[in-house]
Amino acid sequence: MTVSLDDLRQQARQRWDALQNSETVRILVGTATCGRSAGAMEALEAFRDALRQHGLDGRLIEVGCIGLCYAEPIACIAKPGRPAVYYGEVTPERARELVAAYLVADDPLPRYALGTVGDGRIEGIGPLLEAPVFRHQVRRTLRLCGAIDPTQIDHYLAHDGYQGLAAALEMGPERIIEEVRNSGLRGRGGAGFPTWRKWRFCRDAPGETKYLVCNADEGDPGAFMNRSLLEGDPHALLEGMLIAGHALGAREGYIYCRAEYPLALERLRLAIEQAEAYGLLGEDVLGSGIDFRIRIKEGAGAFVCGEETALIASLEGRRGMPRPRPPFPAVSGLWGKPTIINNVETLACVALILRNGAEWFAQYGTEKSKGTKTFALVGKVKRTGLVEVPLGITLRQMIFDIGGGTLDDKPFKAVQTGGPSGGCIPAELLDTPVDYDSLQAAGTIMGSGGMVVMDQDTCMVDFARYFLDFAQKESCGECVPCRLGTRQLLTILTDITNGHGKPDDIELLLELAGAIKLGALCGLGQTAPNPVLTTIRYFRHEYEAHIHRKRCPAVVCKELISSPCQHVCPIGTQVPVYISLIAQGRFQEAFDCILRDNPLPSVCARVCHHPCESKCQAGQWGDPVAVRALKRFAVDYALKTGIYPRKRSPATTTGEAEATQKVAIVGAGPAGLMAGYRLANRGYDVTILEALEAPGGALAACIPEYRLPRDRLNADIENVKAAGVKIRTNTRVGRDISFEEIRRSYRAVFLATGAHRSKKLGIGGEDAEGVLDAMEFLTRANLGREVSLGRRVGIVGGGNSAIDAARVAVRLNPCEEVTVIYRRTRAEMPAFEEEIEAAAEEGIRFRFRAAPEKVIVDGAGRVAGVECLRMELGEPDESGRRRPVPVAGSRFAIDLDTLIVAVGENPDLSFLGDGHGIEVSRWGTTVVSPDTLRTNVAEVFAGGDVVTGPDTVIQAMAAGKVAADMIDKYLRGESVARDFELIRPSTYLPAVELTEEEVEGARRPAMPSLPATERIGSFAEVELVLTAEMAIREARRCLRCDLQTDDARRHLAQCEAEGACHGG
Amino acid sequence: MADETSLTIDGLSITARPGTSILRAALKSGLYIPHLCDHPDLDPVGVCRLCLVEVEGRGLVLACRTPVEEGLVVRTESPEINNVRRVTTELLIVNHPEDCLACSQNDRCELQRVAAYVGVDRQRLARLRRDARPAPVDTSNPFFDYDPNRCVLCGICVRTCSDLQGVSAIDFAFRGFDTTIAPFGKMPLAQSRCESCGECVVRCPVGALAPKNAQQPSREVRTTCPYCGVGCGIYLGVRGERVVAVRGDPDRVTNRGSLCVKGRFGYGFINHDDRLTTPWVRRNGRLVEAEWDEALSLVAERFAQSKGESFAALASAKCTNEENYLIQKLTRAVMGTNSIDHCARL
Repeated sequence: MTVSLDDLRQQARQRWDALQNSETVRILVGTATCGRSAGAMEALEAFRDALRQHGLDGRLIEVGCIGLCYAEPIACIAKPGRPAVYYGEVTPERARELVAAYLVADDPLPRYALGTVGDGRIEGIGPLLEAPVFRHQVRRTLRLCGAIDPTQIDHYLAHDGYQGLAAALEMGPERIIEEVRNSGLRGRGGAGFPTWRKWRFCRDAPGETKYLVCNADEGDPGAFMNRSLLEGDPHALLEGMLIAGHALGAREGYIYCRAEYPLALERLRLAIEQAEAYGLLGEDVLGSGIDFRIRIKEGAGAFVCGEETALIASLEGRRGMPRPRPPFPAVSGLWGKPTIINNVETLACVALILRNGAEWFAQYGTEKSKGTKTFALVGKVKRTGLVEVPLGITLRQMIFDIGGGTLDDKPFKAVQTGGPSGGCIPAELLDTPVDYDSLQAAGTIMGSGGMVVMDQDTCMVDFARYFLDFAQKESCGECVPCRLGTRQLLTILTDITNGHGKPDDIELLLELAGAIKLGALCGLGQTAPNPVLTTIRYFRHEYEAHIHRKRCPAVVCKELISSPCQHVCPIGTQVPVYISLIAQGRFQEAFDCILRDNPLPSVCARVCHHPCESKCQAGQWGDPVAVRALKRFAVDYALKTGIYPRKRSPATTTGEAEATQKVAIVGAGPAGLMAGYRLANRGYDVTILEALEAPGGALAACIPEYRLPRDRLNADIENVKAAGVKIRTNTRVGRDISFEEIRRSYRAVFLATGAHRSKKLGIGGEDAEGVLDAMEFLTRANLGREVSLGRRVGIVGGGNSAIDAARVAVRLNPCEEVTVIYRRTRAEMPAFEEEIEAAAEEGIRFRFRAAPEKVIVDGAGRVAGVECLRMELGEPDESGRRRPVPVAGSRFAIDLDTLIVAVGENPDLSFLGDGHGIEVSRWGTTVVSPDTLRTNVAEVFAGGDVVTGPDTVIQAMAAGKVAADMIDKYLRGESVARDFELIRPSTYLPAVELTEEEVEGARRPAMPSLPATERIGSFAEVELVLTAEMAIREARRCLRCDLQTDDARRHLAQCEAEGACHGG
Repeated sequence: MADETSLTIDGLSITARPGTSILRAALKSGLYIPHLCDHPDLDPVGVCRLCLVEVEGRGLVLACRTPVEEGLVVRTESPEINNVRRVTTELLIVNHPEDCLACSQNDRCELQRVAAYVGVDRQRLARLRRDARPAPVDTSNPFFDYDPNRCVLCGICVRTCSDLQGVSAIDFAFRGFDTTIAPFGKMPLAQSRCESCGECVVRCPVGALAPKNAQQPSREVRTTCPYCGVGCGIYLGVRGERVVAVRGDPDRVTNRGSLCVKGRFGYGFINHDDRLTTPWVRRNGRLVEAEWDEALSLVAERFAQSKGESFAALASAKCTNEENYLIQKLTRAVMGTNSIDHCARL
């Protein structure tokens, strides 16, 4: 006697309701594999212990996963008469705390809560489904995951489980296929073939015996949608299989699931047993006369078995290798019989379609991609997890709304979809809708649902290399293009990431990739080149940087970068070398090492924005090594002991100019000084022409003394002069000497005049008395000329000039109150963070989101204030920063006596005179060939801010270095072209041995600095120097990335063999 | 012919029997399409990807896996096809040893033929070639060696072993670039269930499976294998007075070219120093060479003295059926005893 489904459901509902309405507390713990690996079983035990300890009665229920990977382990506490509360990161301690606080003392601890589910409210905790991570989700296939006990068939039945099967049995195969057709369901395994059509082929194929196979092998790295469903709601799959089997006329179904999913397999076996016991599976399903059995086949975890024909071979007990189609499995599959292979999620959707109807299913999605889809959102995203969204949602919504954006809000770079068979999508295409066709148009595929987010720290060449390594290892080895082609791609990519790329590598990759796509036997090989193709399509410049410039923009590729600090230093300072010399107490050698690459060590030790520290590996887990402070220590040591500045510097290069030739440099800023020093060291007769009364350019005129004391700057200028460079101050080109005359008198010219013409605000009243431009103000103040300020000073702008002006103003009489007015927020300010902090310490006030509209002018024609509009941040502009837009009716005034405008600077090229013939851009910058810095006039080179617009000191010095090298080549009659070489330190010093206490206790020292109270009204240097002891301790923290290349290992091995180290 | 299908390949009209693949139809008509993994004795698998052709209205298909159809219009070349073929060939060659002259398959190598047809560029090969990491050669089998470095993984040997011989001693092993052909557990061939029939060796399109000490014969002699009563047809490869090779006679209905280990490799006895070439008789307790007449007379004389139950005969499997019939006739009718048996049932 068969039991009817209605009876089963009624009985199940009674049991479920009894559980829900019972007077005992229920504690749900997510113990899927993900939860367990995060410690859910320990949390479960802790709950059990705590309940026992407090003498509480409670039911502990193990459930599946609700998909919030970032918050694992997750538990839910449901007190009678209250909404259930979900908690995240439930460690055993937290579990005990929750029992004591919520169950004993009735404090629900909102700080640990993720949200509530069910009727009613709890103070301080919002509804779970209204949290940002859930708001954009539509959870259908995942709806019961984490809500029911997956080992209880009654829980599934109580939620309308097997209703789809009942409907299907009534409808019969033809109408089932029609219903699935109307739903628009496409294969969720990734290829997106219409499910009904595949079924149609199989149903129409001749033969009595047919098979249904569920692909639960889930091979994509980073994908876990199927595992979660199998572990959290296994009956959803069984129901889908029963329906599909009935539609196809199959009496047997196989679940092909990887053996690495032991919990999923266990839950599936149990579910099959229970379904059979209830008469839902096996002979005469629900008395319909239809037989259907489900068997499980454990796979060995081969990626290629995601390919239908390979999966079939594996099911048959053979090696999992694909065969060419046709014949298609729908005609000749398992044991040569018509066979349908569907993904877990597809079959779970089938159950829902039959239960709720095609129309219900299709209410979400796009025209050609219907329904919802689960995705595993992973990588550099704040809220990693398993999400289910309507198809057609944009990638931006997925990553930023659901995922909460990138980790630490680093710039987003790309997202990978479709696993190794897919490709990446760059930031420009973030608004691409997630559907089969849009993703394909972007060069990738939907795939089974893996979505890996990458930020600026991901190297796209390395990323392609990773996936090719995966593909070539997983290739079954059967067909030539895949077996040997993916290997060849991998070798080329490895060469590129190791710095051995060849100029035609990109073309070769494209050619090979094309042939592999077309020639490979199965989907694995045909799609294996996709990561290469999409990264070349969207990130070609990164490939070119690796191949042509030997640079990894993301600073990832180890063999290529050597140490990140040296790699990112624009002048290639050998940071690890001098740091390890400091660590050994060899301070003078450390200083010599710094001086080798840098003729302005005192300047850089103070004002460099230290890109080296931003990429320091020690900063990945703690604080970066204080590189600039260590440089400062070594330089101050040299100054103190009198070894610096020297009377005559040793030549940095051995190359001697054949005859003394005259070179003119216009501008004695960092670019000009660097170029002059290098050229003089090579034997050229170098003259720098400087318009101001003191050399240094922006170093003297713009950087205030409290950051860079004049005696320190002068020491570096002495160093440059000692190399033989002549500096003629008070010599303005165009006034004191014409550009034409310079060209006549010198063999080559380097223009390094910077960018010091302040931009205007372009608002009314700007010409009033008391409105100053920042450059003029800073130059006057820094060179000790007269400046007149009022009591209340306002500064418009958010860059370094604005902060410098503010910090100078606050030190001058009679200024009492300084306000920086900026149209965006502090997070968007382009000024260096440490400068902003120092300004705040000095009492400078900030008015953010304020845009000046009009300068208020009093009757005497003097500035009296500024009228502003309040701004709010709108959509991001091209620079990625959110554009400020005015808030209607938000006009307000700030009373001021002086207004300093610091909204950017432009180069001033008027000194060139008329008819100079040098190409100038529409921004007023000099146009040069980016690699050689040569202008369109053969003997004229230009670099620094005059080319780039306002930039950092070290970038200007890098330009000076390049210009010197190129001018040298030009004057030698060689071809003016850059030779890019792999960056390596000149020597490899052995690493220091750290004691365990040192490793444990290693912390970046707080920088000694002048107290804020002593800074006001004083131009004394703010930042102080480390002590020798502090410097050594800090230097020992260096992780010595430079020793991790093959070159370094070879060198050290040789040293060991010879019993001595060349470097040490 | 009424039961033939006609189709066009590269503008040439040809006919073929229905069910024949485009590749085999083309080859039979004298049109070459590059291929490595197809073998007339085996079902096509389409793994070398070289026989890609374009069929009008269908796009790219594998010639080996597509049966001929009436009116089919096939093109064996297109820019796409040529690109796939060239890259595939280049990849094979740069992962293959360059010492063709030291290879037993030199001049008969299918890879050489493909390369010559597709055309390869020396500079390009140098660009793609990587440092080789030679894999060890399996020399454990007494009759032939397997050199994985020369192997193109066409799978013909695997299919021969399983589909033709029913032995399944070897299969693909490992994945990706490390894929190789090996017995179970990558044990040496000699320790595997391999029966050394050498059927794989004769089908190997390259020099990966090669007989030990192979020598090219100067002429061939058609004969019958002397080992057993099946009577397989063989060609003895002869150099002067020496037999240096054996191959199955593809036209002999008994074996259609197939041979067992003995027939194929067991010819060493022919020119062996220890081989008996004249009869010997015992005189005064010592074996000495004798003439056939003397030896046969001696046998007849002794047989005549041993009729009846003191006589028994044991026949050999190396004899033909007719010879075995004769010996039982001799035993029963002449010697007067039923004591006759055959080694095959001992």
